[in-house]
Amino acid sequence: MRQELDRIVIPEATEAEERAARIIVAAFHEPRLVQRHRRVRGPLVALSVAVVVVAAVLSPPGRAVVNQVRRAVGIDDARPALFSLPTPGRLLVAADSGIWIATPDGSRRLLGRYDEASWSPFGRFVVASRTNELATLEPNGTVRWTVARPGVRFPRWTGTATDTRIAYLTRSRLHVVAGDGKDDVDIGGAPAAAHVAPAWANGFGFVLSYADTHGRITSILTAKGGALWRSVALQAPRSLEWTGNGKELLVLSTGRISTLRGTDGREIANRPAPSALSIALRPGTDAVAELGRADGASRVKLAGRVLFSSAGELRGLTWSPDGRWLLTGAPESDQWVFIRADGRKIVAVSNISAQFRSGTFPRVEGWCCSK
Amino acid sequence: MSIRWRDERALVRGAQGGSSAALEELFRLHWGRAHRAAYLVVHDAAAAEDIAQESFLAAIRNLDRFDRRRPFAPWLHRIVVNRAIDHARARTLRAETVLDPLLAAPGVGGDGVPDDSLLTAIAALPPEQRAVIVLRHLLEYTPGEIAELLMLPRGTVNSRLRRGLDAIGGTEQ
Repeated sequence: MRQELDRIVIPEATEAEERAARIIVAAFHEPRLVQRHRRVRGPLVALSVAVVVVAAVLSPPGRAVVNQVRRAVGIDDARPALFSLPTPGRLLVAADSGIWIATPDGSRRLLGRYDEASWSPFGRFVVASRTNELATLEPNGTVRWTVARPGVRFPRWTGTATDTRIAYLTRSRLHVVAGDGKDDVDIGGAPAAAHVAPAWANGFGFVLSYADTHGRITSILTAKGGALWRSVALQAPRSLEWTGNGKELLVLSTGRISTLRGTDGREIANRPAPSALSIALRPGTDAVAELGRADGASRVKLAGRVLFSSAGELRGLTWSPDGRWLLTGAPESDQWVFIRADGRKIVAVSNISAQFRSGTFPRVEGWCCSK
Repeated sequence: MSIRWRDERALVRGAQGGSSAALEELFRLHWGRAHRAAYLVVHDAAAAEDIAQESFLAAIRNLDRFDRRRPFAPWLHRIVVNRAIDHARARTLRAETVLDPLLAAPGVGGDGVPDDSLLTAIAALPPEQRAVIVLRHLLEYTPGEIAELLMLPRGTVNSRLRRGLDAIGGTEQ
Protein backbone atom coordinates (compact mmCIF):
# COMPACT_ATOMS: atom_id res chain seq x y z
CA MET A 1 0.00 0.00 0.00
CA ARG A 2 2.93 2.34 0.69
CA GLN A 3 3.87 2.32 -2.99
CA GLU A 4 0.30 3.01 -4.04
CA LEU A 5 0.07 5.90 -1.60
CA ASP A 6 3.36 7.24 -2.89
CA ARG A 7 2.11 7.10 -6.47
CA ILE A 8 -0.87 9.35 -5.83
CA VAL A 9 -0.19 12.61 -7.61
CA ILE A 10 -0.49 15.75 -5.50
CA PRO A 11 -1.30 18.72 -7.73
CA GLU A 12 1.53 21.24 -7.95
CA ALA A 13 3.59 19.38 -5.36
CA THR A 14 6.90 20.78 -6.58
CA GLU A 15 5.62 24.35 -6.59
CA ALA A 16 4.17 23.82 -3.12
CA GLU A 17 7.53 22.61 -1.84
CA GLU A 18 9.37 25.61 -3.26
CA ARG A 19 6.80 28.03 -1.88
CA ALA A 20 7.01 26.41 1.54
CA ALA A 21 10.81 26.38 1.47
CA ARG A 22 10.92 30.11 0.77
CA ILE A 23 8.43 30.88 3.51
CA ILE A 24 10.02 28.67 6.11
CA VAL A 25 13.56 29.84 5.49
CA ALA A 26 12.37 33.46 5.55
CA ALA A 27 10.38 32.85 8.72
CA PHE A 28 13.42 31.23 10.32
CA HIS A 29 15.23 34.55 10.11
CA GLU A 30 12.48 36.45 11.85
CA PRO A 31 13.75 37.41 15.31
CA ARG A 32 11.11 35.46 17.20
CA LEU A 33 11.97 32.26 15.36
CA VAL A 34 15.71 32.26 15.95
CA GLN A 35 16.31 32.27 19.67
CA ARG A 36 20.01 32.91 19.59
CA HIS A 37 21.90 33.14 22.84
CA ARG A 38 21.81 36.60 24.31
CA ARG A 39 25.06 38.34 24.90
CA VAL A 40 25.84 41.02 27.36
CA ARG A 41 25.61 44.08 25.14
CA GLY A 42 24.94 46.84 27.67
CA PRO A 43 28.51 48.13 27.94
CA LEU A 44 28.95 48.06 24.15
CA VAL A 45 25.74 50.00 23.58
CA ALA A 46 26.70 52.58 26.20
CA LEU A 47 30.14 52.99 24.61
CA SER A 48 28.58 53.41 21.13
CA VAL A 49 26.21 56.09 22.40
CA ALA A 50 29.08 57.92 24.06
CA VAL A 51 31.09 57.86 20.82
CA VAL A 52 28.13 59.30 18.86
CA VAL A 53 27.64 62.09 21.40
CA VAL A 54 31.31 63.06 21.40
CA ALA A 55 31.40 63.00 17.59
CA ALA A 56 28.33 65.23 17.50
CA VAL A 57 29.91 67.78 19.73
CA LEU A 58 33.21 67.83 17.90
CA SER A 59 32.35 67.87 14.21
CA PRO A 60 29.77 68.99 11.62
CA PRO A 61 29.40 65.42 10.31
CA GLY A 62 28.81 64.42 13.90
CA ARG A 63 26.04 66.96 14.22
CA ALA A 64 24.50 65.46 11.10
CA VAL A 65 24.54 62.10 12.85
CA VAL A 66 22.65 63.60 15.77
CA ASN A 67 20.07 65.05 13.40
CA GLN A 68 19.58 61.60 11.91
CA VAL A 69 19.23 60.12 15.37
CA ARG A 70 16.72 62.81 16.32
CA ARG A 71 14.62 62.03 13.28
CA ALA A 72 14.69 58.38 14.20
CA VAL A 73 13.87 59.14 17.81
CA GLY A 74 10.78 61.06 16.72
CA ILE A 75 9.22 64.47 16.49
CA ASP A 76 10.50 66.74 19.24
CA ASP A 77 7.34 68.71 19.97
CA ALA A 78 5.06 65.70 20.16
CA ARG A 79 2.16 65.71 22.59
CA PRO A 80 2.85 63.43 25.53
CA ALA A 81 -0.58 61.78 25.30
CA LEU A 82 -3.55 61.43 22.99
CA PHE A 83 -5.50 64.47 24.24
CA SER A 84 -7.64 64.60 21.11
CA LEU A 85 -7.86 63.51 17.50
CA PRO A 86 -7.30 66.22 14.90
CA THR A 87 -10.62 65.55 13.17
CA PRO A 88 -13.94 63.80 13.96
CA GLY A 89 -14.15 60.02 13.94
CA ARG A 90 -13.12 57.17 16.20
CA LEU A 91 -10.01 55.03 15.97
CA LEU A 92 -10.01 51.28 16.33
CA VAL A 93 -6.68 50.14 17.75
CA ALA A 94 -5.16 46.68 18.20
CA ALA A 95 -2.73 46.35 21.10
CA ASP A 96 -1.32 43.49 23.17
CA SER A 97 -4.03 44.20 25.73
CA GLY A 98 -6.79 43.85 23.12
CA ILE A 99 -8.92 46.02 20.87
CA TRP A 100 -9.50 49.64 21.86
CA ILE A 101 -11.64 52.51 20.66
CA ALA A 102 -10.15 56.00 20.85
CA THR A 103 -12.63 58.86 20.57
CA PRO A 104 -12.07 62.44 19.31
CA ASP A 105 -11.65 63.75 22.86
CA GLY A 106 -8.81 61.30 23.41
CA SER A 107 -10.69 58.94 25.73
CA ARG A 108 -10.00 55.28 25.22
CA ARG A 109 -12.04 52.16 25.89
CA LEU A 110 -10.81 48.58 25.90
CA LEU A 111 -13.35 46.38 24.10
CA GLY A 112 -11.84 43.01 24.89
CA ARG A 113 -8.93 40.70 24.31
CA TYR A 114 -9.07 40.36 20.55
CA ASP A 115 -6.28 40.44 18.00
CA GLU A 116 -7.83 42.17 14.99
CA ALA A 117 -10.95 44.22 14.33
CA SER A 118 -12.77 46.44 11.90
CA TRP A 119 -15.74 48.76 11.98
CA SER A 120 -19.22 47.97 10.75
CA PRO A 121 -20.18 50.15 7.75
CA PHE A 122 -21.69 52.92 9.89
CA GLY A 123 -19.48 52.47 12.92
CA ARG A 124 -22.29 51.18 15.12
CA PHE A 125 -20.53 47.89 15.79
CA VAL A 126 -17.11 46.31 15.67
CA VAL A 127 -16.20 42.88 14.38
CA ALA A 128 -13.23 41.42 16.19
CA SER A 129 -11.26 38.21 15.98
CA ARG A 130 -8.95 36.15 18.09
CA THR A 131 -7.34 32.83 17.31
CA ASN A 132 -10.45 30.69 17.23
CA GLU A 133 -13.28 33.17 17.47
CA LEU A 134 -15.08 35.83 15.51
CA ALA A 135 -17.23 38.24 17.53
CA THR A 136 -19.30 41.32 16.95
CA LEU A 137 -19.45 43.94 19.67
CA GLU A 138 -21.08 47.22 20.45
CA PRO A 139 -18.68 50.12 20.96
CA ASN A 140 -19.24 49.80 24.72
CA GLY A 141 -17.83 46.28 24.61
CA THR A 142 -21.11 44.33 24.78
CA VAL A 143 -20.77 41.16 22.73
CA ARG A 144 -23.60 40.64 20.19
CA TRP A 145 -22.66 37.22 18.89
CA THR A 146 -19.65 34.99 18.43
CA VAL A 147 -18.77 32.09 16.20
CA ALA A 148 -15.93 29.61 16.78
CA ARG A 149 -13.66 28.99 13.81
CA PRO A 150 -10.02 27.93 13.62
CA GLY A 151 -7.39 30.59 13.05
CA VAL A 152 -9.71 33.54 12.38
CA ARG A 153 -8.10 36.59 10.76
CA PHE A 154 -8.85 39.76 8.79
CA PRO A 155 -12.53 40.37 9.62
CA ARG A 156 -14.03 42.92 7.23
CA TRP A 157 -17.61 44.27 7.41
CA THR A 158 -19.65 45.85 4.63
CA GLY A 159 -23.26 46.58 3.73
CA THR A 160 -26.18 48.94 4.09
CA ALA A 161 -28.20 50.01 7.10
CA THR A 162 -30.43 46.94 6.73
CA ASP A 163 -28.22 44.22 5.29
CA THR A 164 -24.59 43.56 6.05
CA ARG A 165 -21.97 40.87 5.53
CA ILE A 166 -18.71 40.06 7.24
CA ALA A 167 -15.84 38.41 5.41
CA TYR A 168 -12.99 36.75 7.26
CA LEU A 169 -10.30 34.14 6.79
CA THR A 170 -9.77 31.02 8.80
CA ARG A 171 -6.41 29.31 8.35
CA SER A 172 -6.64 29.41 4.59
CA ARG A 173 -10.37 29.60 3.90
CA LEU A 174 -12.48 32.57 3.04
CA HIS A 175 -15.77 32.84 4.91
CA VAL A 176 -18.74 35.15 4.65
CA VAL A 177 -21.32 35.47 7.41
CA ALA A 178 -24.35 37.73 7.65
CA GLY A 179 -24.15 40.67 10.03
CA ASP A 180 -26.46 38.90 12.47
CA GLY A 181 -24.11 35.93 12.68
CA LYS A 182 -26.26 33.62 10.55
CA ASP A 183 -25.53 31.72 7.34
CA ASP A 184 -21.79 31.38 7.71
CA VAL A 185 -20.47 30.12 4.39
CA ASP A 186 -17.02 28.78 3.58
CA ILE A 187 -16.37 29.90 0.06
CA GLY A 188 -12.73 28.87 0.02
CA GLY A 189 -11.87 26.80 -2.98
CA ALA A 190 -8.55 25.97 -4.50
CA PRO A 191 -6.06 27.38 -4.26
CA ALA A 192 -6.49 28.56 -0.70
CA ALA A 193 -6.79 32.17 0.35
CA ALA A 194 -3.49 33.88 1.08
CA HIS A 195 -2.96 35.70 4.36
CA VAL A 196 -4.16 38.99 2.92
CA ALA A 197 -7.22 40.91 4.08
CA PRO A 198 -10.15 40.45 1.70
CA ALA A 199 -11.74 43.64 0.34
CA TRP A 200 -15.41 44.48 -0.19
CA ALA A 201 -16.49 46.66 -3.10
CA ASN A 202 -19.08 49.35 -2.53
CA GLY A 203 -22.31 48.80 -4.43
CA PHE A 204 -24.82 46.07 -5.04
CA GLY A 205 -24.37 42.36 -4.71
CA PHE A 206 -21.72 42.24 -1.99
CA VAL A 207 -18.72 41.86 -4.26
CA LEU A 208 -15.76 40.49 -2.34
CA SER A 209 -12.18 40.16 -3.56
CA TYR A 210 -9.44 38.04 -2.09
CA ALA A 211 -5.92 36.92 -2.96
CA ASP A 212 -5.09 33.25 -3.22
CA THR A 213 -1.82 31.51 -2.47
CA HIS A 214 -0.88 31.67 -6.15
CA GLY A 215 -1.08 35.45 -6.19
CA ARG A 216 -4.31 35.64 -8.16
CA ILE A 217 -7.16 37.88 -7.14
CA THR A 218 -10.68 36.49 -7.28
CA SER A 219 -13.85 38.55 -7.04
CA ILE A 220 -17.06 36.90 -5.93
CA LEU A 221 -20.61 38.13 -6.18
CA THR A 222 -21.52 36.78 -2.77
CA ALA A 223 -25.20 37.80 -2.91
CA LYS A 224 -25.78 35.45 -5.85
CA GLY A 225 -23.05 33.00 -5.14
CA GLY A 226 -20.88 33.28 -8.21
CA ALA A 227 -17.35 34.21 -9.15
CA LEU A 228 -17.09 37.36 -11.21
CA TRP A 229 -13.51 36.97 -12.31
CA ARG A 230 -10.07 35.76 -11.40
CA SER A 231 -7.02 37.84 -12.27
CA VAL A 232 -3.63 36.78 -13.55
CA ALA A 233 -1.08 35.94 -10.87
CA LEU A 234 0.59 38.92 -9.24
CA GLN A 235 3.76 38.70 -7.22
CA ALA A 236 2.82 38.22 -3.57
CA PRO A 237 -0.18 40.57 -3.24
CA ARG A 238 -0.22 42.15 0.20
CA SER A 239 -3.15 44.54 0.17
CA LEU A 240 -6.38 45.01 -1.78
CA GLU A 241 -8.53 48.11 -1.84
CA TRP A 242 -11.55 48.97 -3.97
CA THR A 243 -12.05 52.50 -5.18
CA GLY A 244 -15.07 54.21 -3.65
CA ASN A 245 -17.14 53.85 -6.83
CA GLY A 246 -16.45 50.12 -7.00
CA LYS A 247 -15.04 50.35 -10.51
CA GLU A 248 -11.43 49.49 -9.83
CA LEU A 249 -9.45 47.37 -7.42
CA LEU A 250 -6.00 48.52 -6.31
CA VAL A 251 -3.54 45.79 -5.49
CA LEU A 252 -0.22 46.33 -3.79
CA SER A 253 2.10 43.47 -4.63
CA THR A 254 5.86 43.12 -4.43
CA GLY A 255 7.32 46.13 -6.20
CA ARG A 256 4.13 47.15 -7.96
CA ILE A 257 0.77 48.82 -7.57
CA SER A 258 -1.76 47.42 -10.02
CA THR A 259 -5.20 48.68 -10.95
CA LEU A 260 -7.62 45.90 -11.88
CA ARG A 261 -10.84 46.64 -13.72
CA GLY A 262 -13.79 45.88 -11.47
CA THR A 263 -15.84 44.18 -14.15
CA ASP A 264 -13.36 41.57 -15.38
CA GLY A 265 -10.19 41.79 -13.27
CA ARG A 266 -7.97 42.86 -16.15
CA GLU A 267 -4.94 44.87 -15.15
CA ILE A 268 -5.62 48.23 -16.73
CA ALA A 269 -2.70 50.07 -15.14
CA ASN A 270 0.31 49.40 -13.03
CA ARG A 271 3.30 51.28 -11.80
CA PRO A 272 6.51 50.19 -10.15
CA ALA A 273 6.55 50.82 -6.43
CA PRO A 274 9.70 49.05 -5.25
CA SER A 275 9.69 50.66 -1.83
CA ALA A 276 5.94 50.64 -1.11
CA LEU A 277 4.87 49.04 2.16
CA SER A 278 1.27 50.26 2.43
CA ILE A 279 -1.26 52.10 0.33
CA ALA A 280 -4.50 53.82 1.30
CA LEU A 281 -7.13 55.38 -0.94
CA ARG A 282 -8.23 58.83 0.14
CA PRO A 283 -11.96 58.62 0.95
CA GLY A 284 -14.18 59.94 -1.80
CA THR A 285 -11.33 60.26 -4.32
CA ASP A 286 -9.04 58.05 -6.32
CA ALA A 287 -5.89 59.59 -4.83
CA VAL A 288 -3.57 57.00 -3.36
CA ALA A 289 -1.44 57.63 -0.29
CA GLU A 290 1.65 55.46 -0.17
CA LEU A 291 4.03 54.59 2.62
CA GLY A 292 7.44 53.42 1.46
CA ARG A 293 10.97 53.02 2.66
CA ALA A 294 14.06 53.57 0.51
CA ASP A 295 17.58 54.95 0.92
CA GLY A 296 17.34 54.84 4.69
CA ALA A 297 14.20 56.95 4.95
CA SER A 298 10.49 56.25 5.30
CA ARG A 299 8.21 58.48 3.29
CA VAL A 300 4.48 59.11 3.15
CA LYS A 301 3.42 60.30 -0.29
CA LEU A 302 0.11 61.42 -1.67
CA ALA A 303 -0.30 61.34 -5.44
CA GLY A 304 3.50 61.25 -5.75
CA ARG A 305 4.17 64.18 -3.43
CA VAL A 306 6.12 63.58 -0.22
CA LEU A 307 4.06 64.71 2.77
CA PHE A 308 6.31 63.42 5.53
CA SER A 309 9.61 61.60 5.83
CA SER A 310 11.51 60.07 8.70
CA ALA A 311 14.81 58.31 9.14
CA GLY A 312 13.03 55.80 11.35
CA GLU A 313 10.54 53.12 10.47
CA LEU A 314 6.95 54.15 9.79
CA ARG A 315 4.20 51.58 10.00
CA GLY A 316 0.61 51.63 8.80
CA LEU A 317 -1.33 54.24 6.89
CA THR A 318 -4.91 55.19 7.73
CA TRP A 319 -7.09 57.98 6.40
CA SER A 320 -9.45 59.95 8.59
CA PRO A 321 -13.07 59.48 7.50
CA ASP A 322 -13.20 63.02 6.10
CA GLY A 323 -10.05 62.42 4.04
CA ARG A 324 -8.24 65.37 5.59
CA TRP A 325 -5.67 63.58 7.74
CA LEU A 326 -3.43 60.56 7.44
CA LEU A 327 -2.24 58.60 10.43
CA THR A 328 0.96 56.60 10.48
CA GLY A 329 2.94 55.06 13.33
CA ALA A 330 6.59 55.50 14.28
CA PRO A 331 7.33 52.44 16.43
CA GLU A 332 10.93 53.34 17.22
CA SER A 333 9.87 56.60 18.84
CA ASP A 334 6.55 55.14 20.09
CA GLN A 335 4.65 57.93 18.36
CA TRP A 336 1.64 58.37 16.16
CA VAL A 337 2.03 60.95 13.45
CA PHE A 338 -1.06 62.70 12.09
CA ILE A 339 -0.30 64.30 8.73
CA ARG A 340 -2.65 66.81 7.17
CA ALA A 341 -3.33 65.92 3.54
CA ASP A 342 -1.89 69.20 2.31
CA GLY A 343 1.35 68.33 4.09
CA ARG A 344 1.39 71.63 6.00
CA LYS A 345 0.67 70.36 9.46
CA ILE A 346 2.01 67.46 11.47
CA VAL A 347 0.70 66.44 14.87
CA ALA A 348 2.66 63.82 16.76
CA VAL A 349 1.60 61.99 19.89
CA SER A 350 4.09 60.12 22.08
CA ASN A 351 3.83 57.24 24.54
CA ILE A 352 1.36 55.32 22.39
CA SER A 353 2.20 51.85 23.67
CA ALA A 354 1.70 52.76 27.32
CA GLN A 355 -1.62 54.43 26.58
CA PHE A 356 -2.93 51.20 25.10
CA ARG A 357 -1.17 48.97 27.66
CA SER A 358 0.85 47.29 24.97
CA GLY A 359 4.29 45.73 24.95
CA THR A 360 4.43 46.07 21.19
CA PHE A 361 3.54 49.09 19.11
CA PRO A 362 -0.25 49.31 18.68
CA ARG A 363 -1.76 48.96 15.22
CA VAL A 364 -4.53 51.20 13.88
CA GLU A 365 -7.30 48.98 12.51
CA GLY A 366 -9.63 51.71 11.29
CA TRP A 367 -10.77 55.30 11.61
CA CYS A 368 -14.45 55.52 11.25
CA CYS A 369 -17.35 57.74 10.79
CA SER A 370 -17.40 61.48 11.05
CA LYS A 371 -20.62 61.49 13.04
CA MET B 1 17.92 4.39 9.24
CA SER B 2 20.44 5.00 12.01
CA ILE B 3 22.75 6.93 9.66
CA ARG B 4 19.84 9.07 8.57
CA TRP B 5 18.90 9.68 12.18
CA ARG B 6 22.46 10.78 12.99
CA ASP B 7 22.36 13.10 9.99
CA GLU B 8 19.05 14.41 11.14
CA ARG B 9 20.35 15.08 14.64
CA ALA B 10 23.19 17.09 13.13
CA LEU B 11 20.69 19.06 11.06
CA VAL B 12 18.50 19.75 14.07
CA ARG B 13 21.56 20.84 16.03
CA GLY B 14 22.57 23.10 13.14
CA ALA B 15 19.11 24.62 12.87
CA GLN B 16 18.96 25.17 16.62
CA GLY B 17 22.23 27.03 16.26
CA GLY B 18 20.74 29.30 13.61
CA SER B 19 21.99 27.63 10.40
CA SER B 20 19.50 28.21 7.62
CA ALA B 21 21.31 25.64 5.44
CA ALA B 22 20.67 22.99 8.09
CA LEU B 23 17.09 24.12 8.39
CA GLU B 24 16.52 23.90 4.66
CA GLU B 25 18.05 20.45 4.52
CA LEU B 26 15.83 19.35 7.37
CA PHE B 27 12.87 20.80 5.51
CA ARG B 28 13.77 18.97 2.27
CA LEU B 29 14.22 15.74 4.18
CA HIS B 30 10.72 15.86 5.67
CA TRP B 31 8.53 18.01 3.44
CA GLY B 32 7.51 15.28 1.01
CA ARG B 33 6.15 12.89 3.65
CA ALA B 34 4.51 15.65 5.64
CA HIS B 35 2.82 17.19 2.62
CA ARG B 36 1.63 13.82 1.31
CA ALA B 37 0.28 12.81 4.71
CA ALA B 38 -1.69 16.04 4.96
CA TYR B 39 -3.01 15.63 1.42
CA LEU B 40 -4.20 12.09 2.03
CA VAL B 41 -6.11 13.19 5.13
CA VAL B 42 -7.67 16.41 3.80
CA HIS B 43 -7.87 15.65 0.05
CA ASP B 44 -7.32 19.26 -0.87
CA ALA B 45 -3.98 20.27 -2.31
CA ALA B 46 -4.12 23.88 -1.16
CA ALA B 47 -5.19 22.98 2.35
CA ALA B 48 -2.53 20.27 2.53
CA GLU B 49 0.12 22.79 1.50
CA ASP B 50 -1.03 25.18 4.20
CA ILE B 51 -1.20 22.48 6.84
CA ALA B 52 2.26 21.12 6.07
CA GLN B 53 3.69 24.63 5.89
CA GLU B 54 2.12 25.73 9.17
CA SER B 55 3.24 22.52 10.83
CA PHE B 56 6.83 23.17 9.80
CA LEU B 57 6.55 26.72 11.05
CA ALA B 58 5.15 25.48 14.36
CA ALA B 59 7.96 22.93 14.59
CA ILE B 60 10.75 25.40 13.95
CA ARG B 61 9.19 27.94 16.32
CA ASN B 62 9.61 25.33 19.02
CA LEU B 63 12.93 24.01 17.83
CA ASP B 64 14.73 25.30 20.90
CA ARG B 65 12.61 23.05 23.08
CA PHE B 66 13.08 20.00 20.87
CA ASP B 67 14.99 17.15 22.47
CA ARG B 68 17.73 16.19 19.98
CA ARG B 69 17.92 12.67 21.34
CA ARG B 70 14.54 11.98 19.77
CA PRO B 71 13.82 11.69 16.03
CA PHE B 72 12.37 14.78 14.38
CA ALA B 73 9.89 13.04 12.07
CA PRO B 74 7.38 11.75 14.67
CA TRP B 75 7.30 15.18 16.26
CA LEU B 76 6.53 16.82 12.93
CA HIS B 77 4.11 14.11 11.83
CA ARG B 78 2.15 14.44 15.05
CA ILE B 79 1.61 18.15 14.31
CA VAL B 80 0.77 17.55 10.65
CA VAL B 81 -1.70 14.73 11.19
CA ASN B 82 -3.47 16.39 14.10
CA ARG B 83 -3.87 19.60 12.12
CA ALA B 84 -5.09 17.67 9.11
CA ILE B 85 -7.66 15.82 11.23
CA ASP B 86 -8.84 19.12 12.72
CA HIS B 87 -9.16 20.61 9.25
CA ALA B 88 -11.05 17.65 7.84
CA ARG B 89 -13.40 17.52 10.86
CA ALA B 90 -14.06 21.25 10.69
CA ARG B 91 -14.98 21.05 7.03
CA THR B 92 -17.41 18.26 7.76
CA LEU B 93 -19.00 20.07 10.69
CA ARG B 94 -19.35 23.36 8.90
CA ALA B 95 -21.77 21.96 6.32
CA GLU B 96 -20.18 24.12 3.73
CA THR B 97 -22.07 25.67 0.90
CA VAL B 98 -20.02 25.86 -2.23
CA LEU B 99 -20.98 28.94 -4.13
CA ASP B 100 -19.53 28.37 -7.53
CA PRO B 101 -17.78 25.63 -9.47
CA LEU B 102 -14.83 27.94 -10.08
CA LEU B 103 -14.40 28.26 -6.33
CA ALA B 104 -15.32 24.76 -5.41
CA ALA B 105 -12.89 22.81 -3.32
CA PRO B 106 -11.70 19.93 -5.43
CA GLY B 107 -13.22 16.61 -4.73
CA VAL B 108 -11.52 13.36 -5.33
CA GLY B 109 -10.26 13.34 -8.84
CA GLY B 110 -10.47 17.12 -8.91
CA ASP B 111 -7.55 19.49 -9.13
CA GLY B 112 -6.66 17.92 -12.43
CA VAL B 113 -5.72 14.68 -10.72
CA PRO B 114 -6.56 11.47 -12.51
CA ASP B 115 -9.16 9.64 -10.46
CA ASP B 116 -7.56 7.08 -8.29
CA SER B 117 -9.43 4.26 -6.66
CA LEU B 118 -7.30 4.19 -3.51
CA LEU B 119 -7.60 7.93 -3.11
CA THR B 120 -11.33 7.65 -3.64
CA ALA B 121 -11.61 4.92 -1.07
CA ILE B 122 -9.58 6.82 1.52
CA ALA B 123 -11.60 9.97 0.88
CA ALA B 124 -14.75 8.11 1.86
CA LEU B 125 -13.38 7.32 5.33
CA PRO B 126 -13.90 9.50 8.39
CA PRO B 127 -10.87 11.77 9.01
CA GLU B 128 -9.76 9.77 12.06
CA GLN B 129 -9.58 6.55 10.03
CA ARG B 130 -7.78 8.29 7.17
CA ALA B 131 -5.20 9.53 9.66
CA VAL B 132 -4.38 6.10 11.08
CA ILE B 133 -4.21 4.58 7.59
CA VAL B 134 -1.78 7.31 6.54
CA LEU B 135 0.31 6.97 9.66
CA ARG B 136 0.45 3.19 9.34
CA HIS B 137 0.82 2.69 5.60
CA LEU B 138 2.45 5.88 4.33
CA LEU B 139 4.60 6.90 7.28
CA GLU B 140 5.02 3.32 8.49
CA TYR B 141 4.47 3.77 12.20
CA THR B 142 3.48 0.78 14.28
CA PRO B 143 0.04 0.82 15.93
CA GLY B 144 1.77 1.43 19.26
CA GLU B 145 3.60 4.45 17.88
CA ILE B 146 0.39 5.76 16.31
CA ALA B 147 -1.36 5.43 19.64
CA GLU B 148 1.39 7.51 21.21
CA LEU B 149 1.38 10.10 18.44
CA LEU B 150 -2.36 10.62 18.51
CA MET B 151 -2.66 10.05 22.26
CA LEU B 152 -5.19 7.29 21.74
CA PRO B 153 -5.58 3.85 23.33
CA ARG B 154 -3.89 1.23 21.21
CA GLY B 155 -7.17 -0.64 20.86
CA THR B 156 -8.76 2.42 19.28
CA VAL B 157 -5.93 2.66 16.78
CA ASN B 158 -6.28 -1.01 15.90
CA SER B 159 -10.04 -0.77 15.46
CA ARG B 160 -9.73 2.34 13.28
CA LEU B 161 -7.11 0.62 11.20
CA ARG B 162 -9.24 -2.49 10.82
CA ARG B 163 -12.39 -0.58 9.91
CA GLY B 164 -10.52 1.66 7.54
CA LEU B 165 -8.82 -1.20 5.79
CA ASP B 166 -12.10 -3.12 5.57
CA ALA B 167 -13.70 -0.12 3.93
CA ILE B 168 -10.98 0.40 1.35
CA GLY B 169 -10.55 -3.28 0.72
CA GLY B 170 -6.98 -3.52 1.93
CA THR B 171 -5.30 -5.79 4.43
CA GLU B 172 -3.07 -5.11 7.37
CA GLN B 173 0.43 -6.25 6.52
